[in-house]
Amino acid sequence: MSLSAKADGTSIEFGSQVLSDVYSDVEAYYGARVARYGATPLGVDWSCQATQMLRFVQLLKICDFSAPFSLNDIGCGYGALAAFLAMRYPKSKIDYLGVDLSHAMVSRARRRFSGPDRRFVVRKASPRIADYSLASGIMNVNCGHSRTTWEGYIATILRQMRRTSRRGFSVNFVVDAARRSAEPLPDTLYRTSSQPWIRFCERELGCSVETIDDYGMKEFTLLVRCNQTAAA
Amino acid sequence: MGLAIHDSTTLDVLALLNRRFGPDEIVEMVALQKEFQIFSSDHSLEDSFYLLGIMPCDRAERDRWFKFLGTLKNYESDVPNVNGYDRVIVAFEQTLIILPHIPPNPVLPLFVDVHAMAEDPRVTFSDGFPLLFSVQPYKVLSIPTKPGRVARQEAANAAKARRAKKSKK
Repeated sequence: MSLSAKADGTSIEFGSQVLSDVYSDVEAYYGARVARYGATPLGVDWSCQATQMLRFVQLLKICDFSAPFSLNDIGCGYGALAAFLAMRYPKSKIDYLGVDLSHAMVSRARRRFSGPDRRFVVRKASPRIADYSLASGIMNVNCGHSRTTWEGYIATILRQMRRTSRRGFSVNFVVDAARRSAEPLPDTLYRTSSQPWIRFCERELGCSVETIDDYGMKEFTLLVRCNQTAAA
Repeated sequence: MGLAIHDSTTLDVLALLNRRFGPDEIVEMVALQKEFQIFSSDHSLEDSFYLLGIMPCDRAERDRWFKFLGTLKNYESDVPNVNGYDRVIVAFEQTLIILPHIPPNPVLPLFVDVHAMAEDPRVTFSDGFPLLFSVQPYKVLSIPTKPGRVARQEAANAAKARRAKKSKK
């Protein structure tokens, strides 16, 4: 399996109109979820709080908690990671910025978790460079877009995360259902093996990648470490 | 269950439990237990189930479900001096623990069942093959219950008896 030409970013430009449509659809999708389920794991498409937290544990392995750091939470939703950080690492100094497309999500996050070192913005990408960035689950629901379009969107997000991360970033994906799941999954769920995205991060973004896939879920997490200067 | 929540809600919650702790998802539950010790004497059963999303969607039913879990403290279990509530916590904890063994033993899924309270009023936990159509071995946790209508009738009869006794005085 390989990424589409658009996702590779080498031969075809990922059209801004296409990207704009994807952003709109994603915003509408999660806006509807949070309207229906509120600020809960179901509101961001996770089965429960515990699985959401286990994903955070994996994604946060990119961070060095021995010293203060800044963190961009891409697709922060209603701010579940901010709450998790406060609970799990109460003594760590973390300059947190939650970024989300959805006004509805961000307004809930602000109401619940805003603080001096905890801010939330409605944006497509982080407006600042931080030590680390992470994104939990935002690559999974393709909102009905074709695989090619969706992979182009993912590649765009990964490039943005690379640009706005000094030390590294982490993301997770649902693993290819054919290999790991006995149950059929919906067509709107993007599934992939790790190899294409490892290659993408290594070759296109110039990073080194560690894969975690042994935490009991039908998915994997990529810890992507940036080498020296940020990519253009 | 029974008197506590609607029959359809009971079926939903049992289905949810048996999916999350069934053969396809037990590995995920083991990982969650290993990371967060969700089932332990440090946490209430209500909190553990809340964290795992094991609860009815309907808010009113959800409250009744959590209330029902609390009533398990009044149940007996198959272990002397351990009430039904604590037995349930231990059953989940024991199911999800991986004992050191070479080669590692596979974790058995947990099947949550109900049985007639009239036959056995205790919460029980055992090994078995609860699915007649499957050879998959399970840990089986069974909760005693009685039909809601029977429980209501019994409560009405008891109230009637109390009133009659009172009027005689």
